[in-house]
Amino acid sequence: MLEIATVFDFTRDAVIFAVGVTAVLASLGVILCSSPIYSALYLIGHMICLALLFLLYNAEFLAVVQIIVYAGAVMILFLFIIALLGGKKEVQENSFHRSIAITFVFILLGELCLSATVGPTKQVQGEIPADLFGTAKAIGLELFSKHLVAFELASGLLLVAAVGVICLAKFSFAPLRRRVR
Amino acid sequence: MFASSWLILFFPLLGFIGLSWYGNRLSKKLAGLIGCGTVGASFFMTLVTLSNLLFLPAEERVGQVQTLYQWMSAGSFKLNLAILVDPLSVFMFLIVTGVGFVIHVYSVGYMHDDPEYSRFFSYLNLFIFSMLLLVAAADFFFLIVGWALVGLASYLLIGFWREKTSAVLAARKAFVMNVIGDVGMVIAAFAIFESFGTLNFVDVFVAAPGMFRPNDDTVLLITLLLLVGAFAKSAQLPLHTWLPDAMEGPTPVSALIHAATMVTAGVYLVARCHVLYELVPYTMYFIAGVGILTAVFAGSMALVQYDIKRVIAYSTMSQLGYMFLAVGIGVYSLGMFHLMTHAFFKALLFLAAGSVIHSLDGEQDIRKMGGLQRVMPLTHATFLIGALALAGFPLTSGYFSKEAIILSSYHAEMGNFVFWAIAVLTAGMTAFYIFRVYFYTFVGGLRSPGAHPHESPMIMVVPLAVLAVLALLGGLLGPWVDSFLSPVFGRVVEHHHDGALETIALVAGIGGIATAGLLYMVSKDRMDLIKEAMAPIYDLLFHKYYVDEIYDFLIVSPTKAIGAFLEQKAEREGIDFVVDEVGLQVKEVSRGISLWQSGKVRTYALNMIVGMVTILLFVVFM
Amino acid sequence: MGEQFVLLISAAIFCVGTAGFVIRKNPLIMFMSVELMLNSVNFLLVTYSSFLNSLDGQIFALMIMAVAAAEVVVGLAIILTIFRTRHDMDVDHIDVLKG
Repeated sequence: MLEIATVFDFTRDAVIFAVGVTAVLASLGVILCSSPIYSALYLIGHMICLALLFLLYNAEFLAVVQIIVYAGAVMILFLFIIALLGGKKEVQENSFHRSIAITFVFILLGELCLSATVGPTKQVQGEIPADLFGTAKAIGLELFSKHLVAFELASGLLLVAAVGVICLAKFSFAPLRRRVR
Repeated sequence: MFASSWLILFFPLLGFIGLSWYGNRLSKKLAGLIGCGTVGASFFMTLVTLSNLLFLPAEERVGQVQTLYQWMSAGSFKLNLAILVDPLSVFMFLIVTGVGFVIHVYSVGYMHDDPEYSRFFSYLNLFIFSMLLLVAAADFFFLIVGWALVGLASYLLIGFWREKTSAVLAARKAFVMNVIGDVGMVIAAFAIFESFGTLNFVDVFVAAPGMFRPNDDTVLLITLLLLVGAFAKSAQLPLHTWLPDAMEGPTPVSALIHAATMVTAGVYLVARCHVLYELVPYTMYFIAGVGILTAVFAGSMALVQYDIKRVIAYSTMSQLGYMFLAVGIGVYSLGMFHLMTHAFFKALLFLAAGSVIHSLDGEQDIRKMGGLQRVMPLTHATFLIGALALAGFPLTSGYFSKEAIILSSYHAEMGNFVFWAIAVLTAGMTAFYIFRVYFYTFVGGLRSPGAHPHESPMIMVVPLAVLAVLALLGGLLGPWVDSFLSPVFGRVVEHHHDGALETIALVAGIGGIATAGLLYMVSKDRMDLIKEAMAPIYDLLFHKYYVDEIYDFLIVSPTKAIGAFLEQKAEREGIDFVVDEVGLQVKEVSRGISLWQSGKVRTYALNMIVGMVTILLFVVFM
Repeated sequence: MGEQFVLLISAAIFCVGTAGFVIRKNPLIMFMSVELMLNSVNFLLVTYSSFLNSLDGQIFALMIMAVAAAEVVVGLAIILTIFRTRHDMDVDHIDVLKG
């Protein structure tokens, strides 16, 4: 796999560049749209771009999981809720709060970009054969040996989330007083 | 052998605790019984201790210390809960418990109609315990503890009738002056500890002669500071103003505390620390001087007072001056002998006066009394005996003790003519004023028409009789007292017999009595003439030389003014203001900060981002 | 080149997500911005696992996805509960804890 990649190095880099920029533009679309449905769609697009990037970096299992779980289940859930609660277009007003926020976010961006001054990373001597890197088999081997506790805890977490949601959903409550602001 | 002496102190303490906790649930009879019983038991134990002491040969009687347990041990400083059983302390025990018991029995009758009966007896027991602790203490520490407790008991008893404003003020005055004395004593104790490293009497007195030259500065300081305490407690100049006011308390209190026992604590102190005082002859002259000055000062004030108790109070001050003269000259056992006889006849005089006051329903002004000898024969007889003893009439106990002191004031090593002359003058004044009171009260016609005086009940008269017998026969105990106390003081005092001086003193005494009689027989107008002629002097004496006013002007008013100023400026505007402002400002600041908590999620998120950015700045650039 | 680019992309997506969270008032869009932030971190983890030749990064990303899924479920349930009976979708009106 890697050999093919080195041959098509330039292509690979170009594709990575393009997909990366698309991902950033899609994320901008998420936050700038006035309608929640459009934002959700942009987010799905962003996730598909990320899945592509995962593929390009030899993490095929994770790419598939991203599409199935994240873009598939989670975003569909989002869309259902948007449908339930109403996707009204929201009026954006410029305020002092917004300006400060954007200023600080830009400073944050500048600081985070400083991390690019860190030098190249060194490869770790691992026991995974190169052609198995990123496959389901390799991840499975890792998951069930080195990271077993995390795996079990994650499954416990999902169970708890499910129970919690059932409790929340079955919650019978009196209607809130309508507050007109 | 003397372990049982602890019971002497223990019984009154038990009485105090029991009566103060359960007193109002007991019947009056039971409370009185307990009150007297404890002191009686103490007296009995004192007799036991006395006989034990007499078993020992004379040299061994000194320095018997009974320790209960070691109370404090810090480095090289050790303090034991201990009492010293030697002739001097047993002598004082006898007087305190004996006269105390008699007065307790008297109080059963005197305070019978008072609603707070058991409280009175609990305080009396507290006083007896404190006084016993004072004289029994084996070190300066417990001496001062007893000293302070006695002051407390005095305060409680003077202000016993709480609704009487004058009594409360008098109690406060007494307590404040006693505390001044306490301060002097405590500083003296510090000085003693610094010089000797210990507070035990035995250790200090054994070490003292070897450590200091005569009139050394340290010992001078120590003895003068101890004197501050002694003078405050014994009402000598200049700390005497509390004693006349202390007569606001019930009469048994005046008899017990302000005649027989508490005020003699100063004399006891000087006698106990005689080793230290003998090292500084300057201080001894000072003591003798102050003593004799107080004697004549008080005697002169007593000449013109109209309150029967006040006259006797000034007389107490004056006789204490005699005692201080004696210990100042160095004839300690004579001073202690006079202490004993004075306890007898002064307590007798107070109790008889109390009997008179009781029968006249609280009247204390002698101008409103008169002719009581027919109605109250027993009281009259006992008062007369007491007055004769006080005046030093031959063959009464007062005669023996006073004469001895007057003679020694001339003949002893440190005595001189001035002391003697003033002593004789005071003796004459003493005789005059006490017989003035006698003639006003018991002779002639009753001057208050509505009163119905009657003889007091037996329970009050029997103590009077007992004290009268002691006042008459006490003089015979003189030589025994000398020999009993000689191991403590190191030598037996020599008795001088100077015919000329003795006669002069005798003449002064009888002259006083005669003058009182004469003046009384003289008609009213002549009395008024004399009064007018001596008006300025009369004013001075009647207003107690204006000492109270001087103190008020010099000390009390400035202190009150300073206190008021500080309360307003430093306390209210200073400290309170700052503290309040701190609280208020904190409230204001937090109110300002609380506006930041808007409840909006986005604002909180923004805060988080700002914080994150700042931290990253620090992390990245530093 | 690859590493720096990856870092820049990841930083950009993260900042976009942060800005979105703070700027928008609609709770659903705020939630989506949170998903953006999580995604950017996932991306960084996976690429660095490739650079470092160690699978730990990918497993971490997997765990993050599991947690994100659980979080979305519970979060949306809460949003539903709060905003079901309201007329407007404005997070700023939930300020009962003011003070």
